[in-house]
Amino acid sequence: MSCDKFEPLIALYIENDLAQAEARAVESHLAGCDACREFAAEMRESQAALKALRTEFVDDAVFLQVRTEVLSAAAHGQRVVSWPRYAIAAGLVLALLGGWMWQMRPGARLESRPIAANVSAPPLPVTVPAPQARTRTRLGRVQRRRPQAAPMFKSEPLLVKVITDDPQVVIYWLVDQNGG
Amino acid sequence: MQELALLMVSDCADAQKPEFARLVRQAKAGDAAAFEAILCQFERRVLLTAMRLLNGNLEDAKDAAQQVFLRLHRSLHQLDASRHFASWLYRITVNVCRDMLRVRARRPVVPLEEAGHCAMAGGTEDAMRRDEQMRLIYAALASLPERERAAIVLRDLEGISTAEVARILGSSEVTVRSQISNGRVKIRKFIDRQQRRRL
Repeated sequence: MSCDKFEPLIALYIENDLAQAEARAVESHLAGCDACREFAAEMRESQAALKALRTEFVDDAVFLQVRTEVLSAAAHGQRVVSWPRYAIAAGLVLALLGGWMWQMRPGARLESRPIAANVSAPPLPVTVPAPQARTRTRLGRVQRRRPQAAPMFKSEPLLVKVITDDPQVVIYWLVDQNGG
Repeated sequence: MQELALLMVSDCADAQKPEFARLVRQAKAGDAAAFEAILCQFERRVLLTAMRLLNGNLEDAKDAAQQVFLRLHRSLHQLDASRHFASWLYRITVNVCRDMLRVRARRPVVPLEEAGHCAMAGGTEDAMRRDEQMRLIYAALASLPERERAAIVLRDLEGISTAEVARILGSSEVTVRSQISNGRVKIRKFIDRQQRRRL
């Protein structure tokens, strides 16, 4: 093997990065080759110079600064992620609560109707109401034959489903379309 | 120098101890003090490795270290403390530094005057000579291709085994061995050239 081929092996040999068999081969070559011995000595010198970086001094204040900024950013990141989700959910809940209180205020038309009519109405997804003329005709006929105890809706209640970022928070909003 | 190497080895061992696993569990549960303790344990290694990969630029290394630890914070939930935590952190450090160098379109070779911004203690003649030698080494490192530099930094400066370096860099052991060998020879030639130029 020529000296050129030994160079990469010598570069590993000087740091004990060779397997035993390879190391032995390098050693026997070095024993008989002045140029490669010189190369190995130079390699050891440059490796010692490189490893001087291990003793490099960095002030503790630098680490403290990095730590402080990381902890601050980590804490800030948590707020950024969670704050809007809960704020939106809270806002929606407050809006719905406000709407409900507005409907329940004294003198509102809703009070004149039996509560059972609202509660028993089946929650339906947002749909286009059935054709008005046909419904009125049929309802009219039913009313003529059998008067109802509870007042009838002019149209069906509207159910609004609000999906928030949090899968555990889903808000249903039942809208009475009869002026309530 | 030997003490530093021993310190690094003991740090690696610490990462596998039950106490460290407990810290990770607490940090996962949102315990900021536990996360800070992990940070304290690894900040020196991460920052110094980053500085060596980023041509000795301390400001860049600080940015890189922050990114690494924020990534760690984001990834805590999927972290398995019992498996090669230090290697994982080194891999993130190498990737962050590589991205920084690419984004900032740094030239691989920096002038000697700009290399190694780390402040050295004192202004004596010895300190100045030492400072100059550091700059020379940083310039030599900066002259290496990215992969060779990473392999040299991890093997020769961090004292990590070749097999572990291969795992960190996602390469085969044979490839990393070749990168380490080439890198060492190039560093020697670089230093030799610079010294001849000054004579």
